[in-house]
Parts: sequence; C-alpha cells; structure tokens
Amino acid sequence: MKKYIFTFCVGLFILTSCNKWLDVKPESEVELETLLLTETGFQEALNGIYANCNTSGTYGELICGFPDFLAGIYSQNFYGGLSNNEYKPFLTYNYTDKAVLNKCYTIWSSLYKSIALCNIIIEKIDAKKNIFTKNNYSIIKGEAFALRGYLYFDLLRLFAPSYASKPDAKAIPYITEFSLKGAPQSSVSEVITKILADLNAAKALLKDKDPILSPVYVVGYPYTKTDLANTEKTNESTENDIFSNTRRDRMNYYAVCAELARVYLYKQDKVNALANALEIIDAKKFPWATKERITTSDPLYKDKIFYTELIFSLYAPGLESNMVAKFENGEQGMFTNLVYFNDAFETGSGGPGGTDLRYANMYNPISGGTMMSVMKYHSDAESNMYDLRLPAIRISEMYYIAAECNIATNPTQAWTYFNAVRFQRGIPAALSGDQNLFMSELIKEYRKEFFAEGQLFYLFKRLNKPISAINGSSTPASDNVFVLPIPDAEVQYGNIVTK
Amino acid sequence: MKIFSLFRKKCFCGRHALRQIVLLPVVFFLLSPSPVFGAGQQEKITISLKDVSIVKFFKEIEKNTTYKFFYKGSQVESFPTISIEAKDQTITSILNSVFAKSDLTYTFNNKQIVILQKTGSQSIQVPLKVKGKVSFVEDGSPVPYANIQVKGLTGLGATTDLNGMYTIDNVSKDAVLIVTYIGYITQEIPVNGRSVIDLTMKENLASLQEVFVTGYYTQKKESFTGSALTVSGDELRRIGTQNLLQNIQVIDPSFKQVVNNTFGSDPNKLPEFQVRGTTALDAGTSSSLDPLDRRTLTQSNPNLPTFILDGYQVSLEKVYDLDINRVESITLLKDAAATAIYGSRASNGVLVIKTKDPKEGKLMFSYNFETTVSSPDLSAYNLLNASEKMEYEILAGLYLPTVNISEDVQIENYTKKREYLAAGVNTDWLAKPVRNAFGQKHSVYIEGGSKTIRYGVDLRYQTSQGVMKGSGRDRLGLGMNLSYNLNEKLLFKNYLSIEDVRSKNSPYGSFATYVKANPYYPIVDEAGNYIREMEIWKLQQSSGAVLTSTVLNPLYNATLNSFDKSGYSNITDQFSFEWNILPGLRFRSLVSFSSNKSTSDVFTSPFDNAYYSYLPADYIKRGSYLYSTGVSNNLDGQAVLTYSKGIRKHFVNFALGSNITTNNSDNRGIRAIGFTNDKFSEFGFANAYQVGDSPVSQVVKSRLFGAFANINYSYSNKYLFDFSFRLDGSSKFGSQNRYAPFWSTGIGWNIHKEKFLENTAVSQLKLRATTGFLGEVSFNPFMANTIYEYYTNNWYSTGVGAGYIGYGNELLKWQRTQSSDIGVEVGFLEDRIWFSGRYYYKRTKDLLADINVAPSLGFSSYKSNLGELENKGIELNVKVDLMRNSKDWRVNLTGNLAHNQNKILNISEALKAYNQYLVSNDPNNFTRPISQYVEGQSLSQIYAVKSLGIDTQTGMEVYVKRDGTLTYTYDAADMVPCAERAPKVEGYIGATVSYKRFILTANLHYRYGGYMFNQTLVDRVENADPRYNVDRRALEERWKKPGDATFYKSITSTAVTRATSRFIQKDNEFGLTSVNLTYELSKASARKILMESVRFGINMGDIWRWSSVNIERGIDYPFSKMVTFSITTQF
Repeated sequence: MKKYIFTFCVGLFILTSCNKWLDVKPESEVELETLLLTETGFQEALNGIYANCNTSGTYGELICGFPDFLAGIYSQNFYGGLSNNEYKPFLTYNYTDKAVLNKCYTIWSSLYKSIALCNIIIEKIDAKKNIFTKNNYSIIKGEAFALRGYLYFDLLRLFAPSYASKPDAKAIPYITEFSLKGAPQSSVSEVITKILADLNAAKALLKDKDPILSPVYVVGYPYTKTDLANTEKTNESTENDIFSNTRRDRMNYYAVCAELARVYLYKQDKVNALANALEIIDAKKFPWATKERITTSDPLYKDKIFYTELIFSLYAPGLESNMVAKFENGEQGMFTNLVYFNDAFETGSGGPGGTDLRYANMYNPISGGTMMSVMKYHSDAESNMYDLRLPAIRISEMYYIAAECNIATNPTQAWTYFNAVRFQRGIPAALSGDQNLFMSELIKEYRKEFFAEGQLFYLFKRLNKPISAINGSSTPASDNVFVLPIPDAEVQYGNIVTK
Repeated sequence: MKIFSLFRKKCFCGRHALRQIVLLPVVFFLLSPSPVFGAGQQEKITISLKDVSIVKFFKEIEKNTTYKFFYKGSQVESFPTISIEAKDQTITSILNSVFAKSDLTYTFNNKQIVILQKTGSQSIQVPLKVKGKVSFVEDGSPVPYANIQVKGLTGLGATTDLNGMYTIDNVSKDAVLIVTYIGYITQEIPVNGRSVIDLTMKENLASLQEVFVTGYYTQKKESFTGSALTVSGDELRRIGTQNLLQNIQVIDPSFKQVVNNTFGSDPNKLPEFQVRGTTALDAGTSSSLDPLDRRTLTQSNPNLPTFILDGYQVSLEKVYDLDINRVESITLLKDAAATAIYGSRASNGVLVIKTKDPKEGKLMFSYNFETTVSSPDLSAYNLLNASEKMEYEILAGLYLPTVNISEDVQIENYTKKREYLAAGVNTDWLAKPVRNAFGQKHSVYIEGGSKTIRYGVDLRYQTSQGVMKGSGRDRLGLGMNLSYNLNEKLLFKNYLSIEDVRSKNSPYGSFATYVKANPYYPIVDEAGNYIREMEIWKLQQSSGAVLTSTVLNPLYNATLNSFDKSGYSNITDQFSFEWNILPGLRFRSLVSFSSNKSTSDVFTSPFDNAYYSYLPADYIKRGSYLYSTGVSNNLDGQAVLTYSKGIRKHFVNFALGSNITTNNSDNRGIRAIGFTNDKFSEFGFANAYQVGDSPVSQVVKSRLFGAFANINYSYSNKYLFDFSFRLDGSSKFGSQNRYAPFWSTGIGWNIHKEKFLENTAVSQLKLRATTGFLGEVSFNPFMANTIYEYYTNNWYSTGVGAGYIGYGNELLKWQRTQSSDIGVEVGFLEDRIWFSGRYYYKRTKDLLADINVAPSLGFSSYKSNLGELENKGIELNVKVDLMRNSKDWRVNLTGNLAHNQNKILNISEALKAYNQYLVSNDPNNFTRPISQYVEGQSLSQIYAVKSLGIDTQTGMEVYVKRDGTLTYTYDAADMVPCAERAPKVEGYIGATVSYKRFILTANLHYRYGGYMFNQTLVDRVENADPRYNVDRRALEERWKKPGDATFYKSITSTAVTRATSRFIQKDNEFGLTSVNLTYELSKASARKILMESVRFGINMGDIWRWSSVNIERGIDYPFSKMVTFSITTQF
C-alpha cells in the first residue's frame, strides 16, 4: 500500500509544481509583461499613448474645446442655444460647475493615464534594449520622454498658476513610475525643470536617430491619385514600416524642439527658447501651406489646416462626427458673431485682414450670415487628401516665439519673423513698432492663427495678462481664471494642497 | 415492499416455494422473524416408522407437530431409508438419532426445522473466514460502512467498504452476525458454517439516509460532523417535476432562489441563488445591458453556489436544463466541514447532484410522460377599465387647456376618446400577450446488464411553453451509460450525453407595455387591420414647447417576423475508473470533457415600432440582426484515494485527492442593420454593420488545480472528528498569490450512543460543531495582472495602439470566508419525531473592493481585498412521522425555517464614495430606494427618506429631515436606513400522506418579518403617467380635497414621488407552492397491462398565494401557475 501512496504523492507533486500551467494568458487582451517582450509590443504600447490622446475627451477637448471658451473667441452674447450647453460655465469661469468639474476630471485622469503609459515604456525599455532593430530603441524611448514632457506641460498650463505670477506655487504631482506610489505636488518651477529634463532627454535620444532628420524625409502634401498639381516632391514614408513613417503624427525630433521652445518661453528663458525655435526654422523642414491649396474649392486638395506647417499633430479621423457636432450643429454649435469675427481679422475698411487667406477659407457663415463657424476640422470623408488631424504645434508658433525672444534685443529681427507669418497668410502690410505694440499684435495673431486650436488661453496665462475676449471684454488675470480645478478625487486621495 | 410481497406470496404456499427460499438464505433470514433456538424443542412425540424415505419421515413429524421442514430436494435424495421407534421423545433427540451418522444436520427456526449440510470441518470447530457483500434491497447497490459484528463478541467484526464488501476472520461457524446500518433494519444472521454470506439491507423508513456523496467520495453520515443535506430523487420529484432548482429551496430554504419580480416565470431566465446569505459586493461596477459589450458576453454571479454533477463542476444552466427524472440524489453541502474539499469554490456552498446508474438485471424500460398546463397569474394586476380610465384622466387634469394647447384641441382630444367609449371599446390588453401554455415531456430509460457489464440509455424530449405567447424552451437529451466491473476489483464507467436546448423569447416584448396600454384603445380598425398609431399626444413641456408623441400599438410588433431565439448544444463525456486495491483502500479517477456551443439570433423587423420615427432617408438603417455565438470547453480531471479502516472501536476514513479543471470560452457577437422587409430575415440580407459598432469577442481561459486531504475519525461511533485541507491554485489570481490553502475541522458527539440514553425515547441526539476557511473565485483575471487592451477601433496612423485596462494588483488574494457552524440533531421514538437545528456564522474577509486612488497614478481605482461581510443565521428542520405502524396509512410532516442576517463590517473608501455618488446622481431620480453600503448595516437595508404621510390639508407628503424637522421638500441627503428587506424567518411546511397506493404531498411557503418597498405604489399609482393605464388605487385612493385622509398624495399633483418610508410595507407571504398526488397501480394490475409498474401523478405549482404587500409582480414577464400530469411506467 505504501507503494500506492507514494505513487499518488509523486503524482500530486508533479501537478503542484505546475505553476506555469496556472499562468494563463488572456487572448482578447494581453498582459503587460507579454506585450513588452517584443519590439512590436513596444511599438503598440507607444501607439497606444497617441491613441489615448486623440479622443474627444482629451485632445479633442483641449485643442478644440473649452480652452477657447476661456480665451473668449466664441460669441457668448449671441449664444442663443446655450442654455443647456456644457460649455456655458466656461464662459463665466464658473469652475465650481459640475460640467467644468467633469471635463477637468476627464482631462486630468486621461492625461495622467497617458503619462502612466509613458512611464511603463520608460521603466521597461532598458531591460529589453537588445530586442530593438534600427533606431527604434532611441525613437520609442525618446518619444515616451517627449510625450511625458508634452503632457505634463499641458497639465501644468491647465491646473497650476502661471509661472509668470507664482513660480513657487504648488502645482501638480510629477509621477514617473507606474505603481501605487503617488507623488506630492511639485511647484511650478520644479515641474518645469522636470519637463525640461524629460524633453532634453528626448531630444538627445532622437537626435541623429529620427527619420524626419534624414534629407530624404520631405514634408509636403500627400499624393492623391489624380494629384497633378502636387509637383513638389513629398516623402513622409522613408522607411519600410508604418511605425517609422508619418513622423509628424508623433513626437518627432522637431516636435521636441518646438515643445522645448514653448516650455523655455513659459519659463521666460528666451535664450533657450529662441535656440530651439531657430533649430526648427533653420531646418526649413516645414514648408508654408500654398495659396492654391488653401483657396481651392476642390475638397480633394483643399488645405484647411495648413497641413505642411504642422510640426506635431494628432491623427484623429475618429473625431469626424464629433467635430461636426461641435462646430456645425446650428445654433448649438461653437461659432462667433460675424461682427467680432471681422474685428478680430481686421477686415474693416483699411484693415489689413481683407486678404487674409485664413478668413476666407477656414470659416463658414451661418445663421443667415450673422455668425461664423469653424470649418478647419470639417472633413469630407473620403475626398480629402489628408485625414482629420488635431494641430498640436505649428511652424508659425516657432516664428512667433523667435519674434518674441528677439523683440527686446533685436526688434527688427523680431518683426521679420512676425511679418513672415503674416505674409504667408496673405497680409502684405509689414508691421513694426515697440514691444507693447508687438505684444498686442502677437495676441491678435495668436487669435487668428490658432483659432479653435486651444493655444490662445495659454498665451494669456503665460503672459499673466488679462484675457481680452473677441468681443472686447476683458477678464483680469488671476488664479481664479487661469487655474482649473484639480479633481476632487485627486484632492481626496492624493497629496494635494488646495488653494 | 417488493420483498415483503414476495415473501407473503411464496412463503406459505407449499414445499416448492419453500425450497426456493432455502436456496436464498439471505432473503430468508432477512424476512423471517429472528430465529429462536431451543424454544419448543422439548415437545415430546411418539413416532414409529420402518424403512421409509426421509421425506416421509418429515411429513410424519409435520403431521404430529406444528413444525415444518425446510430442505432442498438434492440434500435428501441420497439419504438412506430410515426406521425409527420413539416414544415420548423430544424432537431434538429424534432428529439427532436420525441424523447422527448422516452428512446432514438441522437447525430450528421458530416452528421451522431447516435441514443443513454438515461440513467436514464442523466437528473440529475451525474458525471460519466469513466474507460477503452487503447491498441495498431496493436496487442492489452496495452498502458502504455497514457494521457487522459477531454476536456476543464485542470487538470482533468489520465494516463494509465502499463496495459493500466485508471480511471477518476467526468466526465460529455457529456464530451469529449482527448487521447494523443506520436507517436500515438491523439483522441477525447465523453463519451456519458458510464462508460467503451476501446480505441485503432493507430501509427502515423512519430513519434518514446514512451516507452522502461529497462529489469526490462518499461519506458516512453518522460519523460526519459537517452540515450536509441529502435528498433522494424521489423526494425531489414528489415536490414537482418541472423545476429541480426550485424544489431544492423547498427542502432547504437556506438555498434561496432570489425572487425575480421583473422576469416572473420566464422559462429562459436563469434563476439566481444565494446560500446562507450574500457573500460578495457587486457595487461600483456598472453592468452594461448592451449585448455587444464585451464584458456582458461572460458574466458570473458572485453569490452562486458551486454545482457538481456526478463529480465535475457544471454551470447553472446545465442544472436548470437537467432532466429531474435522471436525478438519483442531491446533496447540499453548506458549512465549512462539508465544503472545504472544494476550497476556492466553496464559500457559497456546493450542490452535489448524482444521477442514476443503470441497475443490474434483465432489460428494463422506463417511460415517463408529462404534460403541463400553465396559466398566467395576473391577479397582482388591478387596472382601470375604459370608463374608469377616462374618469381618472379627467381628474388628473389631462384635458385642461394649457398655454400652448388650446381648449379646442383638448376638447377634440377628449371627444375622440368618448367616441371609443361610446363604441364600447374596453380592451383587455393584459390578455393579449399571454396564453395558457402547454408543455410535454417524454423520457425513456433503458437499463440492464449483468454484474460485469451494465448499460443504461436515457432519452428525453421536453418542450415547455411560456405563458407569454411565442416564448418557450425545448430540450432534447440523449445519454449512454456503460459500466464494466471486473471481479469487484476494477470498475470502469463511461457516460456520454448530448443535449440540445432551444429557447425562444416572446415577440410580444415586455409585458409592462400591455399593462400600460389604455383600455379605450381599439386594437383593430373596422377592416380588421391592426391599428399602429393609437393616439398622438401633445405635451406641453415646462419650457412651454409642445411636443407631440405617438402612442404605438405594441401588438403590432407581434405581427411582424421579428424573432429572438437562442440555443446551445452540449456534449459531455465522463469516464471514471475505480480500483479496489485492498479492502478499504480504493482509488477512483474521473475525467470529464464537456463542450458547449451556443448561438443567439435576435432579429428586429424593419417595420418594428422602434423604427417608427425614422425618416425615409434612414429607412436603409431599419431592422437589425444581432448574432452572437459562444464555444466553451471544460475539462475536469480528478483522482481520489480513499482508505477506511475500523480497528475495534476506532474507525478512520481517509481521503486524499486532487483535481484539475480547465475552462476555455470564446464568445463573439456582431450586429448588422438595414433590412428591406422582414421576409428576408437572414443575416446576409442586412445592408451594413452599424456605424461605430465593431464586432466583439471575449476569450476567457481559466485553470484550477487543487489537492485535498480529508480525515474522518470516530471512536465507537460516539466521538467524531473531521479535518479537511485543500490547497488550490488558480489562474485567476495574482502571480504573487497563485496558491491558497483552505481548511476545516469539526467535532461531533453521538450522545444517543451513550449508555444513559439507551432504551429511552431519545433515538438520536447528535451535537456537532465545525469551522473552517473557504474561498470564492469570481473575478476577472485582469484585476490581478495589468492587462493591455488593443484600441482596435482607434487605429493610429502609425499602427494599432494598446493601453492598459486598469492597474493589476498582483497582491490580490482569494476572497475567504470563515464559516462556523454548530448543530444538533434529535430524534425521538425511533426517530418518529426528528429535529435538527443549526446556527452558523460566516465572515467573509478579503472581500474584493475598489480602492480609490489619486487619478494622477494613471488609474482611479484598483481592486484590493478590503471588504468584510458577515452573515449569521439559524436553520431548523422538523420531521414528524405519524402512523408508522398502520398498514395503509402513513403521514409525514416536515417543516423548515431559515433566518439569515447580513452585516457589512468593513468597506472601502471607494464604496463610501459610491454611496455619495448614488445619492447625488441617481439615474432613477430617487423614485426607488438606493442601495447603499454602510458599515454596520446589512446589504438588504432599505434606505429612504422618512415620511409622515400625506398632509390632509394640502395633499402633499411631509418628510422628516435628518435633524427631525418637517418639510415638504425632498432631499436625498435625508435618506436614512428605514427597514430590513431580509425576512426574519422563511421556510416551508410540508406534508406527505400516503394511503395504500396514493401519495399526496403538499408544500406551503411562508415568509415573515421582512419589509418591502412597494414600487408599484410609486411607479404605478403616484408617479403613474395619467396618459397610460394605471393601478386602480391611483383613481380610488388618492387625495382629492382638503380633509381627505389618504395614503396617496393629491391626484392632480405632477410632482415626482420619491422613495420615502411611506411605501415600505411589511413583506409577509404565505403560499401553496406545490401539491403532488401520485397513484401507483398494484403489481397485479400492472401486469395485466404487461407493465412492471405504472404510476400516475398530478402536480400543481404555485397554486395560491397570500401576501401582505399588494404589488404588481412579473413586470416584464408574468408569473404562472401550473398543473402537470404524469405517467411513469416500467416494463
């Protein structure tokens, strides 16, 4: 009998030792550890961050949502159907309203989720350095750092006081690992230091590695079947895999430089801001959008977003119906009273805006011509030459940064950069003047150039200047306006000091 | 019964028959009164015979005395002729002289003299080694653990093994064996020199069954300390033959079916169960109703017990569709000691179902036919008729002109309805979608075989209609059982079964639509065509805008070709192997494989009312087809080694086993839209897939491995001890906690075995106590591992992306329940009155709960083991057996009672926050109580704002704020715990009366002491939209003028009535659950029609019910009453 018991026990032991057998992998999902065993897995994890950002609740919101209500470009006075509109409290900076809190919660948690996705890649990639082919190790790691910096900068600009007013104020937690460990709030300047560290690390990793740096990578309009007008050579598919192509949809080397320029300028470090902006301008990688493309009525060729000028954009074809609902929804849509709109574009008699290409080609009159609605995100489905994209950084912003960095030291140079953009937009009149004039013209240009792109609010905040709305009203600069509420859940469970 | 009649028939009718009985000593000894030796043998006779045969000699003695001889012809054939002269000698001395030199001897048995063969060894008195098999007289199956003692020699004896085999050494050949087995008649068997003695045991009907199956092995009940309840298949069928699961609840109310007021008696809705209360929190996770949500494809109820069918785990659906006629017995394992061998699957209790094995014998056919008639129970609905409805509408101010609806329009509106009334329209909408439904069942069972090979084939066809027109469930089953028994050493068994179940849901949709329909609407127009638009309402909204909405005829949908059907087919093969290695040592191994394929097809016609408002441009999108399919494969393997040994008064039963299971399931679903008409309802006729609706699939794999050991020790059957241990490993747990140990221990004392209770009225008195740790696996694997999902519907320009679903807590542990149980069993007067009571305390620890974290971590919550929940309760069972000695009558009364109290001991911050969330974001606008999770309260507590009722002057409700002040304004923050939903006591009272061949069983259900929130009063009386039909109380009992003291608020009030204590009512219920009457033809009558046995039965279910709450029941599907007629035959 002992023999049998022995056999039985051995059998049990064999089964017990099958720890591996219990390690079941799900099939419709994949475990993190399994995903990050291969190069493709890392690529998918990186793509996932962008896919997490291109949704209607994240950059769909940050680029074409409430920040422009805060910057006052939409016509609140004539906003007839706004009674139940979720954007109404943004117009009055009522940050205790539930709609504001909900949107802030979504933005906060989804940006931090994207950051966590970056953290996972940064944490895991070094152990797997040897699995990568080509320059993919540097590119993936570099982009993860770059995105982390990019995302933190937006969080900082939304949820912390302006650097210009309170550089030492408590800002946001800077979390760099995927775990249950939280982090206390860092101060505004600490966060900026960390962002710069991330972005510079990214820049170092991408330098010489990013395919966009290759001379054969030529930014231009995509080919279409019948596209005979496109004579310039375009090549944004220099590699034989889709992961390494269309670099402008991801944080490429120049996007990192551009973001650095933004952050340095926010920190009022004009030397570094200028150096980074010039690195892009001098590279001449991003050609201006052509007049033919802007003015054509053929939806196939029409360029409403200044496609070639995008240094970084989020690929978001899934937002098509969301954009239609936002901008083309009759009286419930986002639009601007024509009077104010004309003022903004200076189309009145003697105004320089009459020939502005943007004015004539990116907006549609509605409500019997009394209102203007944004058409730059309008997509004619199959017939467009490019898919819907959310503009994140444009070359024109680099010119503005270069101009702003020069205005105190070299005004001529500054106005040259500034007028260069105006000229491209069809405004022949060259401006010049003192720094005050420059700043007021800069705000005007930001409003026109980045209409419905979410950048204007950040400009007021960076300058810590009163927000001058399109209808002429002004809201004094203060934390009550510039600092969006950190979600209750963060306050409750995190290490947050509230105001 | 069988044996008794056999005996009666054969015993007194001549020598031929007597001979047969001698040939069957087992039966003989069993049935004859206990043999008495030495009594009456002193009777003296005178006899004179010369050269006669021994047969003649016997007859002579029989003539002169009251004795009768029993012998075999062959025994006496060669007996030499005898001559004898005896005067006034005792029979003994005469016989002694006659047999002195022969090879025969004799023995007395009352008035019988049995002639026996002398064995060579007889005179030397060499002890024998006696062995044999003990089997049940009913079916010949072996009796394990029967106790066999040699009379007068304590300590010498044996216990049968699981195959009923025993061996006793050193038995003298004239010894007498005493065979005892609780619940069976004790027998004394003289050895008479035999070395092989096979016995049959006859049930002592007054007593309980002795062994029960744990699913892995059989356990001796007398020495077991746990709480297990075994019910035979016959007892179950006596309650009803339609719903196995419901019957179990009658037998043990702690196995509670959760009443589903929404789905009533829908034959396609699987019931939900709780065993001894709730052990899981499901808050915070919103369950999606979208059939194309990946998570809805595979869902599990965390409170469900584990179902074990013939040793392997099966789904609730499999048990739901099981043919009750195949059930041999069911065992409910409830406490730790009973369930610990199931480890991680045990904390909600285990239901073990054993199906019938084929019996040995000649080919036997059994046929069962049942026909069921069910009728809808609409008694809970008390609606207005057409004229009353009009009166109500007027009182509710429906026709008063408003700012934007002119008086003319309202008059026109009103006149139209008056015309309907004048035309005598009074449509009984409730009657339209329901019917009297019929069902049929045919089951055939063919069995037979020899000791070595046995076979069984079962076939079943069952069709059951639901009371909603068009709904039903058809089941088809085929099973083949084959067993091969090699010398009682090796036993191979294989059971293959194929099942096919098809279900259809009613095209009439939700019953609630018909409840709401106004009785003054006609259904068809003059031409007899269905009227589609019944009315166009003009409503003035608070903003002033006038909205028109069309009331559509719900019956119109039913005329279309829409369908909603699903089905599955299942193939299961079970192979088991048993090896009796040594006496008492047995090895059993079982492998089962089951494959289940299911499909579901839901087609909505393009003409359906749902598409009524579609514009012509969207006609291309009308109609939809939802197709989903699933395949799941389960493999279950187990090996168990059992060893039992009795040494003097010590008895040990030891089991060591392990099992592995793997489950794979793959579910997919797609939806297509755009059908031109409903004649072409094939999937392929669809125009397109819905925009933004991607196909879904969910693959779930899980594996479980466990090893267990159980030891059961008893001393002299008085002092009992149990210990079980199980180690489980599951793929569902975090990599840091792959294995978990579970254990239980129990002690017991059979006081009735003690000297001081011998020969008293107390026939049984057992005390026992158990405790242990059990587990529950019911969470998704991604909670323990960080899982990435692919963003398949959001491809990025540089390839598909992936992101995590949540933070996988690798430290996640098994949810564990500490369960303690004490119980007593008392029987009086040979268990004529029997009582058992149990008290249990279950504390569920490490309850999975969401932990909220700062969203800056990248996730807002994760799962952790934080919650703690407590359930304690009492269970009582009483049985009274009356008229046990009556020849024709038997009366059994049973009663049971269950009480459970639930308490939340500890919950996470997330759940507390969830309460807050619910209080401020109630989707139902506070019209129903919000479930809250509060420490110290039960999960079934009703939270509502305290109310003082309706102000007689204003007709408005007066609320009590938290600070005690009164107000007319409702504030959800004033919600307080108001009443406990769980009843104080709940149970069944049953009686079985048999008279001759009639058996009548009835069961009554009672529930007392709980409270219920009467939703009907809120939804259908106070918040009733006057445009729809309403409960009668809305018209008759609402406040109409100052001074009216009413329960209901003002009839004209349009303010929303919220959940307040006003609607909390006592929930007491009493109902006749089942009545069952059977009649069995006598053997003789059955034979006349060439049958072995014939039984007729009639069963009625849910016949009558009284409740203290007047509430509409069966919202989407009505409840039903049913009557079943059955015939069971064997031939």
